[in-house]
Amino acid sequence: MNELSSSISALRSEFGIAIEQHLVSSGQTIAYISRDRSHDVLAWLRDTPGQEFNYLTDVTAVEYRDPERPLEVVYQLRSLGRKADLRVKVALDKRAPLEVRSVYDLWRGADWLEREVFDMFGVTFTGHPDLRRILMWETYAEGYPLRKDFPLRGHFSRAEQTRQALAANPEAHYSLEELSLAESYIELPKDMQERLARGERGFLK
Amino acid sequence: MGLINPAAGNLDDEVTTVSSISPNWVTTRLDFLTNWARANSLWPMPFGTACCAIEYMATAASRFDIARFGMERQSFSPRQADVLICAGRLPFKLAPVIRRIWDQMPQPKWSISMGACASTGGIFDNYSMVQGIDTIIPVDVYVPGCPPRPEGLMYGILLLQKKIKGETIADDMLRDEKMVGPSGLFLRPERVDELSEPFGNSVQQTRSA
Amino acid sequence: MLQPYIPLLLLLGFVIFNAIMMLGVSHIFSTYRRTAVKIAPYESGMPVLGDARERFSIKFYLVAMLFIVFDIETVFMIPWAVAFNQLTEISGLLIIEMFVFILILAVGYVYIWKRGALQWD
Repeated sequence: MNELSSSISALRSEFGIAIEQHLVSSGQTIAYISRDRSHDVLAWLRDTPGQEFNYLTDVTAVEYRDPERPLEVVYQLRSLGRKADLRVKVALDKRAPLEVRSVYDLWRGADWLEREVFDMFGVTFTGHPDLRRILMWETYAEGYPLRKDFPLRGHFSRAEQTRQALAANPEAHYSLEELSLAESYIELPKDMQERLARGERGFLK
Repeated sequence: MGLINPAAGNLDDEVTTVSSISPNWVTTRLDFLTNWARANSLWPMPFGTACCAIEYMATAASRFDIARFGMERQSFSPRQADVLICAGRLPFKLAPVIRRIWDQMPQPKWSISMGACASTGGIFDNYSMVQGIDTIIPVDVYVPGCPPRPEGLMYGILLLQKKIKGETIADDMLRDEKMVGPSGLFLRPERVDELSEPFGNSVQQTRSA
Repeated sequence: MLQPYIPLLLLLGFVIFNAIMMLGVSHIFSTYRRTAVKIAPYESGMPVLGDARERFSIKFYLVAMLFIVFDIETVFMIPWAVAFNQLTEISGLLIIEMFVFILILAVGYVYIWKRGALQWD
């Protein structure tokens, strides 16, 4: 607990006003930061020698029942070396477009975590390389399921949902190369990465 | 031997036909033979998605063997399967997959909907779960349970065998492919809504709407 | 002269007839209910992507070639063993001959080993 409070005091001394408040709840330390400097704060938490939160456990979001409360994007961080956890929350005003900077460049695992938050809450992560739906199918048109204004059974009738589900073609706009090489993109030689980026799809049609 | 056009598919489930073969003693003997052969050598295609799949595995294992009922060979390719056993809940995202697998099974084919989720959506009455696979594929036997005990699934299999033994070659429409029509569904939309309606305690679930 | 081969030819004829009969009769007497989705290739329920004819790594071809070479070597050893059994008076010469044969092929083996043809990666 002392270490975590020291994280908070270090954060405050470094970022000042960007750290809006903090609280300790059930043994977990939670820091609320402002949206504008969220990326800087998270980068500082990852890189500073005393903090070293090198593992992003989760990115999620929460919308409270009280419609006045803002929607919060929650980053759960862990320092594997120091065995410490920290929760960082960014409050997003629901009256403005829901946007926050992506931390894909800090932690590669944020790729799918942020896609899930986008899919379920509609929060756009600027700077994310490939922000599309991950749990629902890509052409899902009913909205963002975990929002409080989304009814449990969805907006459309069951027949319409079934029809849209049957018509969804999951791999329609991917090429075979993209699908088979997606995981190993980093290991490909440079010239092949460039060719794929330019849109070449192999010589076999 | 051309392709069957989906526009010719029959979306209406209340149609009666007059068969072109008049049933007689020969057809009944042939029926007896064919149905006996089919019922006692059903090769299942286990479409296991969730917890019911574990109970299916238990049923297929040595204690509650289904091989003694003819299901000796589990076929994971639809081409060599007779029965599609959908064991587990089906999300909408998986709906086109099961529809395509059902379409790729050659006739004669039957399906068993195992468990509450496959039959009606189970406890998952929400935006992402299919409320019963009978909105997507035609189902022959429903096995209730969450999950059904192996004895329950075996009862369902025996019920299917009894159903098969009651079939006749004089029935023209029996082995028709009920395809997805041009509207995108294989039933009328009203029928899909009827089948997906909440029932029992779910009708009191008003907080979320 | 061809007397002992007649049962064999009969068997061959019967086998071919049997296969053709099984396929042909089921083709003639079966009903076809083909739909476009039904005859599509099976890819675990997903729509079909890509071609079945893909490029193969050349490693498989290499392994097959090397297998042929050393398999022929083994094949030559078998009749040699039969002859060795019968010609007991020149057995020393035969052993030396076989070792010379193996030595020549071993040179080839060392060559491919050093060239890295046995490395899977």
